[in-house]
Amino acid sequence: MTRPPDFLVGLSDSLKGRLVSHAAGVVFVAVALAGFALSFEANAPAESAQERHLESYLELNGVDFGDPLDRALFRESLDRFYPGQAARNDSLLQAIDDARVRRWSGPGLRRGDTNRGFSPALLPEIAWQFAQFLLVYILALLGIYFGAERLGLYRFVKWKQGRESYLGESIRIVREYRHARANSRVRFPKGAVALDILKALGKGILTTLFFSPAYVIAYALKTSVDTSSLPFMILLALVSNGVLIQASNRFFELLVAEDRKGYVRTATVKNLHTSYEWNAKEGVPVRVLYRISQNLGPHVLRHLYENARFQFIPAMKELGSFLVTGLVIIEMALNIQGRLSYNLLQQILFGRYDVACVIIFSIFLAVKGTEVFVDTWHDFERRRYGF
Amino acid sequence: MKPFEISIAQDGRPLIAVAGYPVAEGVLTILFGESGIGKSLSALAVAGLVEPAELTISVDRESYAHYLARGDVREYRASGFFVFQEPSSHLNPLMTLRRQLNEGSLARATNEPDVIRRLWQGNEQEAASILDVYPKPYRPSGGEKQRVLAAMAFKKMSLLRPGSSGFFVFDEPTASLDNRLRDEFIDLLVDYLPQAPAAVLLITHDYSIVARLTRRHARLSGKVAFKEMYLVRGKQEVRDFEPREYLGWVSSLKPLGPGTVPAEFALRVASGMRVLSRSYRFVRKEGDANAATLTVYKGRMTYLKGGSGLGKTTVLKTIMGLFEPEKMVVEIGGRRFTRENRRKDWSRSVWGRKMTMVFQHADEALNQRALVRDVFGGLPGFESSERNMLDALAKLFDAEAEGSFLNRPVYTLSGGQKQRLNLVRSMILQTEILLLDEPLSGLDLKASAKVIHLLEQQLARGSAILVVSHNEDIFDALTRPEDVYLLEGHKEGP
Amino acid sequence: MWCAGIGCLFLWDEIFLNAPAFDRVRAALFNTLVSGAGAVFLSLVLGWASGAAFFLLEQRRARYSFALLSLVANAIRSLPQVVLVLVGYVLLNQLILAEIIRSETAQLAWVTVTVSVAVFLEVSDTIRSRLEYFRSLEFIDAMLCCGISESRIIHREILWRNSREHLLHKLIALFGVAIFLQCSVDFIVSVGLSTNVSLSNVPLTLGSLLASVDSKQDILALSNLFSDPAYITEIVVRHLQGVSAAFCIVFTLVCFFMIANGYARSRRLNGP
Repeated sequence: MTRPPDFLVGLSDSLKGRLVSHAAGVVFVAVALAGFALSFEANAPAESAQERHLESYLELNGVDFGDPLDRALFRESLDRFYPGQAARNDSLLQAIDDARVRRWSGPGLRRGDTNRGFSPALLPEIAWQFAQFLLVYILALLGIYFGAERLGLYRFVKWKQGRESYLGESIRIVREYRHARANSRVRFPKGAVALDILKALGKGILTTLFFSPAYVIAYALKTSVDTSSLPFMILLALVSNGVLIQASNRFFELLVAEDRKGYVRTATVKNLHTSYEWNAKEGVPVRVLYRISQNLGPHVLRHLYENARFQFIPAMKELGSFLVTGLVIIEMALNIQGRLSYNLLQQILFGRYDVACVIIFSIFLAVKGTEVFVDTWHDFERRRYGF
Repeated sequence: MKPFEISIAQDGRPLIAVAGYPVAEGVLTILFGESGIGKSLSALAVAGLVEPAELTISVDRESYAHYLARGDVREYRASGFFVFQEPSSHLNPLMTLRRQLNEGSLARATNEPDVIRRLWQGNEQEAASILDVYPKPYRPSGGEKQRVLAAMAFKKMSLLRPGSSGFFVFDEPTASLDNRLRDEFIDLLVDYLPQAPAAVLLITHDYSIVARLTRRHARLSGKVAFKEMYLVRGKQEVRDFEPREYLGWVSSLKPLGPGTVPAEFALRVASGMRVLSRSYRFVRKEGDANAATLTVYKGRMTYLKGGSGLGKTTVLKTIMGLFEPEKMVVEIGGRRFTRENRRKDWSRSVWGRKMTMVFQHADEALNQRALVRDVFGGLPGFESSERNMLDALAKLFDAEAEGSFLNRPVYTLSGGQKQRLNLVRSMILQTEILLLDEPLSGLDLKASAKVIHLLEQQLARGSAILVVSHNEDIFDALTRPEDVYLLEGHKEGP
Repeated sequence: MWCAGIGCLFLWDEIFLNAPAFDRVRAALFNTLVSGAGAVFLSLVLGWASGAAFFLLEQRRARYSFALLSLVANAIRSLPQVVLVLVGYVLLNQLILAEIIRSETAQLAWVTVTVSVAVFLEVSDTIRSRLEYFRSLEFIDAMLCCGISESRIIHREILWRNSREHLLHKLIALFGVAIFLQCSVDFIVSVGLSTNVSLSNVPLTLGSLLASVDSKQDILALSNLFSDPAYITEIVVRHLQGVSAAFCIVFTLVCFFMIANGYARSRRLNGP
């Protein structure tokens, strides 16, 4: 029976250290969030005092908070008694409205009700929402990983080709036409210029799209598309908030940095291919942009790609965290019922901070899980390459 | 091929302007000159390996694009090879050395076993174990990586067809090799010369090569050319270098410092130091069973030798308190230091006060973004007035050290100027003990002579100097035999 | 380019947008930019201090202090930035209700501090990586051996002389992140549950402006372009408040991303 390679046996010391650090972080955050939740529970009696304070406004003779005129007069009175505190006065009016709603909505919504706050019965619902969140997150993260590498590679090859931008090219064509026109009759190359301008416009629109916050795109499409569907959410997470652009930019910069390193010159003097023309005999095949596994053959790009890919792995932690931020924003901003982040927003806005802490902890675990996975993967690669 | 006229500028600032850059087919040209003067960049330009986007280059008054398009230049590139200066950064860390040695056109070469056997001096097993590793900063050693790059060049040389011409450049190929390996490399290069109808350029600061070539390979006198590149009013010039000049200068060197052994020592290091899982001992000669205590006397210079990659720099850094040892006993100016001492003990009483160290690589040791005047900032006991700074620089810079020199960014200085600045910074501290790691690195003969004169002045002042250098010819002559130690080291078990 | 774009937008709004709405757009943009700049400045201070602290604690082998600082930093790093900012808004709400924070300026300052706490670790990581890089060279050791103090080496020689450009690049990029976070959370909080429950009434920013009913309707109107591309003329004339707010956000993010990238490339900041 063959012995497995050394790098697969056991964990390296550095990975063990990191895992201990991650575990300590989980415990630390769990304790901190529990403390946060309990401190708001401890303030519950103070909230009752606030309730009584609000009740006193509701008991005022001659003020009907359902009547717009009475509300306006009450608001003006507050501004007279508390001038320059518009925010405070607005908040008080909102709190009074809230207390009115609770008063007329039955005992189930009253603060201090034993059914409020966290209970184990909420766990299955939160777990299901978390599972859905995780599914979207993992699929989007995979998409970003592969998309970033391919886009970064594409940008790098274009950069090595040394071609100017579309706008720059169209300006050059116009200049050449002017110069040529001076000597002979030539037609204005409308088609070429128009095509370049269209390409530049398209690139600009795509860049704007990739950088737009998700809620801007989603609201723009809300009436045409079901913005709460899973595929739409995955697509939105991929293309919005600048995540894909930043990830591909990171990969591109890694390739550029590797290109400056000495081993590339050594590879050059060993007569490896150095052309970056698409599909040329000694150039770069277009299939590198869509194949999962790469075989770049005897080309210096192979050296660059392997090194950039190796260094890109730890960057996935940061990108994962940013993607989670994006997903949370998407779910909250689009008010998607039954989703984890929307649930979190509800709990915060209704003051159920203990439930909110449980949800925050679950989101934290998603990020932490990514970090553990990436650290393990990176460690595996490091040991494979003798680090 | 013939000597080239090369000019290179960056953002309008001229970097290189040399007529007669020495390249000749069928000739091994040894090119000396101060570090940073443009020897390597010129060679890269001739070999067609410079990135034209950032520099304005012309070769033989042709634009670089035209030069690269020439058929003969494409031939040099296809058939030639370039062994670059820093082996660590010129090997892919994610590919085994064996794969890199057999990549591209090298896959067709069949002389690998012979080359490996010569460069590893018959120890093919050791070579095999190294070739299967992924190169990292500290493994294999710098010398081993350099040998791998040299092996690539020799493999490429073996592929040269009759009638084709290649351009082979070896840029500082012996910097990380000890003397035995350096001599083996020279012998191997000389053996390959007749079969290679190529122009071979060897760029180096290692003047000991002169001794090897003139003594062992005198028959090659017509096939070997010694040249030196130097700066004259901001432009580079190339002249013939006389080996006798160097040999004569070395033979005129005398030991520095007083003949009698002083009663007082400044530094004492016990054998048995253990750091980074390696154990070190000092001996008087190779194979000596008795370990010695390294002693550096006031007013005397002690020379510590050892094989390449053994850990001489590590030992110096440990003596300096920069590494935490597992075991160490050092006496510095009468005070005892062991592994129990904390960083603050060194910081308060040793660094810049009792003892200082000059590091090998001036590019790393100096702040490249600082101005020359800033290099003197923060030094204890040194008042950084303009007068004081110019006086300090005058020790090694002559007429260069005028007022405007102080306002030059360090990165604009040549490698040799940086190394001299590196030395000046430490010497003005006037510490009791000076540790020098390759003090002549990157310097030409003239500058080396100045440094040696400065060392003499330091010794006369009563300083104690401990030096590590691979310039054995020079330091063996400058040091008395009783002040020479050999470092031995071995790896400790887990 | 950014100034030109915003200038053109203002010119257009001056002609086609009603005065009160234009005032709101201007105020929102001003508040957002000031808050973003403040967050960047605070991040620099916090990041510089924490980055240097990490390095020194490691150098001096102060294991327990280093472990504690790492624990806190890793916890902050693993919590999504939007959640941290949201928690900040919750605390802001409590402070407003308790009348500790009253003025709009103080509220904006609180938001600025919250955003900086969420993002300062990026500056800290940049500083740590620069210090680690120089530690791997002989740079630090050579200066220590000459008796130069550690704090001078770290702050003046490494961070100020050798890392200014890296830090500036990071801060430019961070400005975009700060704007993004602030606008997103403002939007979320302002949209709320579309009921009469509201978290707080912070000063107007681009995010809260975008979340107002009329702006949302302006953005919703964009979907008409699919069925009627000619509707673009209505979009840029009739639905300007929302479109202006959205344009300011997206255009600022794109521009600062490109500025950061261009700066990094011009200074060759990729890699050490």
